[in-house]
Amino acid sequence: MTHIHVLHILNKAPSHPRSVECLSALMPGDTLLLIENAVLAVASLNEYRAGIPVFALAPDVIARGLGECSENTTLVDFAAMVDLTAQAQQIISW
Amino acid sequence: MTHPVMPARNNEGFLENASDWSHEIASCIAADDNIELNKKHWEIIEFLRTFYKEHEMSPPSNRLFVKSVKEALGEERGNSIYLMQLFPGTPAKTACRIAGLPRPTNCL
Amino acid sequence: MSKSTLIVIDQPPYGAWAGREALDMAFSLAAFDQRVSLLFMGAGVNWLRKSQETSEIEQKSVEKNLSAAPVFGVEKLYADAAACDQYSLFPESMIAGVVITESSSELIRQHSHTAFAG
Repeated sequence: MTHIHVLHILNKAPSHPRSVECLSALMPGDTLLLIENAVLAVASLNEYRAGIPVFALAPDVIARGLGECSENTTLVDFAAMVDLTAQAQQIISW
Repeated sequence: MTHPVMPARNNEGFLENASDWSHEIASCIAADDNIELNKKHWEIIEFLRTFYKEHEMSPPSNRLFVKSVKEALGEERGNSIYLMQLFPGTPAKTACRIAGLPRPTNCL
Repeated sequence: MSKSTLIVIDQPPYGAWAGREALDMAFSLAAFDQRVSLLFMGAGVNWLRKSQETSEIEQKSVEKNLSAAPVFGVEKLYADAAACDQYSLFPESMIAGVVITESSSELIRQHSHTAFAG
């Protein structure tokens, strides 16, 4: 089982100030999980920091018709999302 | 003793208008739960009314009710057995109803 | 890292429910004796201003609601220093017991779980 230092759970659209703040808080060793409106970012993923694993909640991605745009993102279902939270030492819910 | 006219209350017995509260009304509301108010009850009722004035809220749950009583009046009164005996059922809810305060938000 | 939660309020008081819901969350954690603190940053620091008079807008005063936090066992109230500057919130215009933090990001990393309001 891999270990995640900080898991950032982001549910805000890319235009939301909190989204900007979340991205600037990412540090090496952290992992980013996009849910709800935050999955809109999978279409513009180049903005994210290199070396940060990015996951997105599949039901939210698919609901927004973004399934084809998510090549830089690992899609996870609800069960895998729970696994991610269990692997994390720390969680920040933005 | 003549009984005062009971003012409007909601379906759970809480007063619709806080200003309708009086000691007599409190005794009538308590009678719904077969509680006869004594000094011990009044002490808690006064505490709750002061708490509400200060914080503009009733303690939101039983646990926080107990905690706040403990903080203000000490461990002897701030424990769930003591409060349960005075205000049977859900103590925070029963006590707030009698004290003429809004229903605690997290009491089912 | 010992288990502790930081609830962050970065939205102004009144006008939206997110902050109050976050306050409820903090109170609920405290009710179950979980370690919890509150951090106010951004426009959220306006929660901490003294002498809020809310009768005209017919809402409960967040200042008075917040004053129940220590009674319920919420450990600390933190305010982000830069945000306080931005909103001209000086120690004398702030409710009692607030700890000013120069680095909110460091504070966030000192807690095992951080949750932003709304």
